[in-house]
Amino acid sequence: MATQEQWLELATKQMKGKSPDILTWKSPEGIDVKCLYTEDDIQGLETKVQYPGLAPYTRGPMATMYAGRPWTIRQYAGFSTAKESNAFYRRNLAAGQKGLSVAFDLATHRGYDSDNPRVAGDIGKAGVAIDSIEDMKILFDGIPLDKMSVSMTMNGAVIPILGMWIAAAEESGVQQEQLTGTIQNDILKEYLTRNTYIYPPEPSMRIVSDIMAFCSQNMPKYNTISISGYHIMEAGADSVLQTAFTLADGVEYVRAAIASGMSVDTFAPRLSFFFGIGMNFFMDIAMLRAARFLWHRLMQQFNPSNPKSSMLRTHCQTSGWSLTEQDPYNNIIRTTMEAMSAALGGTQSLHTNSYDEAVCLPTDFSARIARNTQIIIQEESHVCKVADPLGGSYYIEYLTNQIVEKAQAIIDEIEEIGGMAKAIESGMPKMRIEESAARRQARIDQGSDVIVGVNKYRLEDEKLDFDILEVPDSVRLEQIDRLKEIRSTRDEAQTQACLEAVTKAAEGNGNLLEVAIAAAKARATVGEISDAMEKVFGRYVATTQCVSGAYSSEYSEASSESAGIIESFRKRTGEFLEKTGRRPRILVTKMGQDGHDRGIKVVASSFADLGFDVDISPMFQTPDEAAKMAIENDVHIVGASSLAAGHKTLVPELIAKLKEQGAGEIGVVAGGVIPPSDYDFLFNAGCKAVFGPGTPITTSAGKVMDLLEAQYLK
Amino acid sequence: MFKDPSYYIQGVLDFNRLMLARTITLIESQLSTHQDIAREVISELLPHTGKAVRLGITGVPGAGKSTFIESFGTMLTGLGYRVAVLAIDPSSTRSGGSILGDKTRMERLAVNDMAFIRPSPSGGSLGGVARKTRETMLICEAAGFDVIIVETVGVGQSETTVASMVDFFLVLQISGAGDELQGIKKGVLEVADAIVVNKADGDNITRAKLAKKQYETALHLVTPSSPNWTPPVMTCSALEEKGLSEVWDTITQHKKIMTATGELEEKRRDQSMSWMWFLVKEGLETWFYNHEEIQKVLPTIKERVETGNMAPTRAADELVSILGKELLF
Repeated sequence: MATQEQWLELATKQMKGKSPDILTWKSPEGIDVKCLYTEDDIQGLETKVQYPGLAPYTRGPMATMYAGRPWTIRQYAGFSTAKESNAFYRRNLAAGQKGLSVAFDLATHRGYDSDNPRVAGDIGKAGVAIDSIEDMKILFDGIPLDKMSVSMTMNGAVIPILGMWIAAAEESGVQQEQLTGTIQNDILKEYLTRNTYIYPPEPSMRIVSDIMAFCSQNMPKYNTISISGYHIMEAGADSVLQTAFTLADGVEYVRAAIASGMSVDTFAPRLSFFFGIGMNFFMDIAMLRAARFLWHRLMQQFNPSNPKSSMLRTHCQTSGWSLTEQDPYNNIIRTTMEAMSAALGGTQSLHTNSYDEAVCLPTDFSARIARNTQIIIQEESHVCKVADPLGGSYYIEYLTNQIVEKAQAIIDEIEEIGGMAKAIESGMPKMRIEESAARRQARIDQGSDVIVGVNKYRLEDEKLDFDILEVPDSVRLEQIDRLKEIRSTRDEAQTQACLEAVTKAAEGNGNLLEVAIAAAKARATVGEISDAMEKVFGRYVATTQCVSGAYSSEYSEASSESAGIIESFRKRTGEFLEKTGRRPRILVTKMGQDGHDRGIKVVASSFADLGFDVDISPMFQTPDEAAKMAIENDVHIVGASSLAAGHKTLVPELIAKLKEQGAGEIGVVAGGVIPPSDYDFLFNAGCKAVFGPGTPITTSAGKVMDLLEAQYLK
Repeated sequence: MFKDPSYYIQGVLDFNRLMLARTITLIESQLSTHQDIAREVISELLPHTGKAVRLGITGVPGAGKSTFIESFGTMLTGLGYRVAVLAIDPSSTRSGGSILGDKTRMERLAVNDMAFIRPSPSGGSLGGVARKTRETMLICEAAGFDVIIVETVGVGQSETTVASMVDFFLVLQISGAGDELQGIKKGVLEVADAIVVNKADGDNITRAKLAKKQYETALHLVTPSSPNWTPPVMTCSALEEKGLSEVWDTITQHKKIMTATGELEEKRRDQSMSWMWFLVKEGLETWFYNHEEIQKVLPTIKERVETGNMAPTRAADELVSILGKELLF
């Protein structure tokens, strides 16, 4: 039989005398990935098991996995009005989709009604606008809620929305116990990454427990939480960080539920997870296997007697961050790879992104391709015939074990701080994620992480030629009319009494979901129910931290050439200081209710590394507020980030507000998910530059310096 | 930038937010042409200053300074006062750039029309910050703000610098594991007019009270800076907005006593004097470093001292005498 020595000799020879050790790749997770794995690498690993369906579930939660039943194709969608979203859902269900997954607009997420002036730019944009039970009934019109499993991504305004959904089901004749589906209800990660919270952590955790308690009694088939790593990954976390923080969140919820008086087996079987799958193909297959093993291990401290209590079941979504605006049809291939990764990792349901999501909302056409990606894997490729087909692979088993070990170490660190809630308070997880994000951006910018069409094989003259779905302002006006109507036709005294009951429950120990269902039936709105709780809980204000130095250190380490680029930027900003008396000063701001702040954090951190003075605005600004801040801080330029389709309203308004107050020379540039077809609109409104997804920091910083030098160094 | 100082002067007096912001930029500018205009603006505006409460706030990172200012400032605007906040953020020594994130933690105050918040990068030299902050404070006073809050991170010598330009110096602390006193510098206790233990909320109240006792004991061992004022130790919760009006009462009480005894006037006179000496020193330094002949000989002299070929005393003598020569001719 061949020996390792023989292989090494051959490999060295084929490497022209160099050791194959130099091929070892250091993954972002800090795992040294060798060019070959053998039996020696997996000897005695505790994570390596024989059978799926049995503890510790490394190979999957079901005994026969997809051979018995494939994963559920569950596409996340929603936009515009309830009526339009409903039509979209019905078309998709007819075309082979199995479950529904509702995306709400940002105003709804943050507990505002559509007529609130703070949210004028967000209505119906990144999801469907829901203000009342009437909207909810339209959203599910003709969809049998006793049969259809419905997943809802809702965390902040979870009480009014879940209440309205249950109430709408009841009014259409469906009993509570018949309802199936999942509510995301994962508030901890909102404080970490997505920022669509409303209340401070403590009352928010109580809301989570109230929902678990209500559903464990009345809706036994309903998943009361979907503990989400997806947003953590999208914020820039590597696969180990995603695993560690997600499972640590899970442990925190279990503790909260137990502390509120439930026994572990009453709720733990209804916990579900949600992981993000990126372009690190084998790593993320291993990640799902590792997460199952680790969750089983972590749950043992609570002594569950039902095996399902420690079985991790998960939904997965392909990465939105990995999608590119450039050469966008490549995204179909990326999504296919990621879908395969999720399938080989053993997911229970999956959302595949549409190729156009880096620039706009999915159209019917792009949604069809995304759905068919899954259908083709399931029905054409024969991938589903064998459970955990990669089980036993030297490489996969080794990676699985590495992720378990590294994630466990981070979880131990979190436990030492006193659990995830305390850790979030300390800022530790956020800083780790942001550091990971800044490093990744640097690797992309200097080309060591390749993105085809962006930093390699880039098309010279690219024209975007596909249809773009746009949500017109008429949606907002329509919602406002419906609100007016509902407020004028309801029994006002009864509504107010119900709202008072919500406030009372918030003050005392009543179950918030229970009173919210009554309020929903009395036609109270999302904003009103949220306000009724806010009276007691207050609204949470985030503290923004920002790492420094991570971008420049990762970028400079790559080569002496890239170190030179950083130096030349610093020289350029230094010269600006010498000639004008101060450093170039930029305000980075997020207007509207979109809370995805990875982008501006990376920009802020790396611009500061290049020698800019960078002001960061609070989250959720109106254009008026952003203008005030730009003026007071007297910045040279404002960078507005938009990821939720609000740019056509918010950016022109900001420019107008600056001009109105005599500060017209403060320039405005925009960045984020902005379709190229909108560029001219923004330029005409006075926007100085637009940076699409995937713009290297060195490009955007260079353009900003060009603008400032032209304006101030004449 | 305008060349004519009257634009800035009129803008500040008119409480024009934009012009106020630009005047501050002018003061912060490193260009000597800008500084010339700034000097004129300041001397013209000086007669309009002196009426505001000048409040300095320091505290270790994590003490909740921004949250405190957010709640405290919002309370003051509710009482009808106009509040200006000057925050100093450290610049990176490697890139020179900085991240100015104070307003992210002052969400309500930042959008309040009665408030003006200006974060400034420290830009390297502490002396520079001291000059700019003092002048910015005066500009805000001339604009008509009733309370000026200067926030500084409790590192290096920045506390004593800020203490030397305000009427009331507030030290914000938090309770920890009982070893609070190790974290506080003696020099800070000496200049504190009050110590406020923040985050006295939730399961932290007992610890906060304990910390209060410890600071009280520590303060007894320090000679108070004024015969008429014994710095109190208080607790508050900026998060829950508790204990804030007591802090404000203490500050107004302090002002009343200091005004009645004439100490306030004296303190401000002393501060003006030390400001003058500071400017003299700064001016001499600038003159020194910009001097053509100094620039010529400095590298050689530095090298000789470094290699031990010249005594530092001799070197200093030689350098200073170069300036002296110019005065003789």
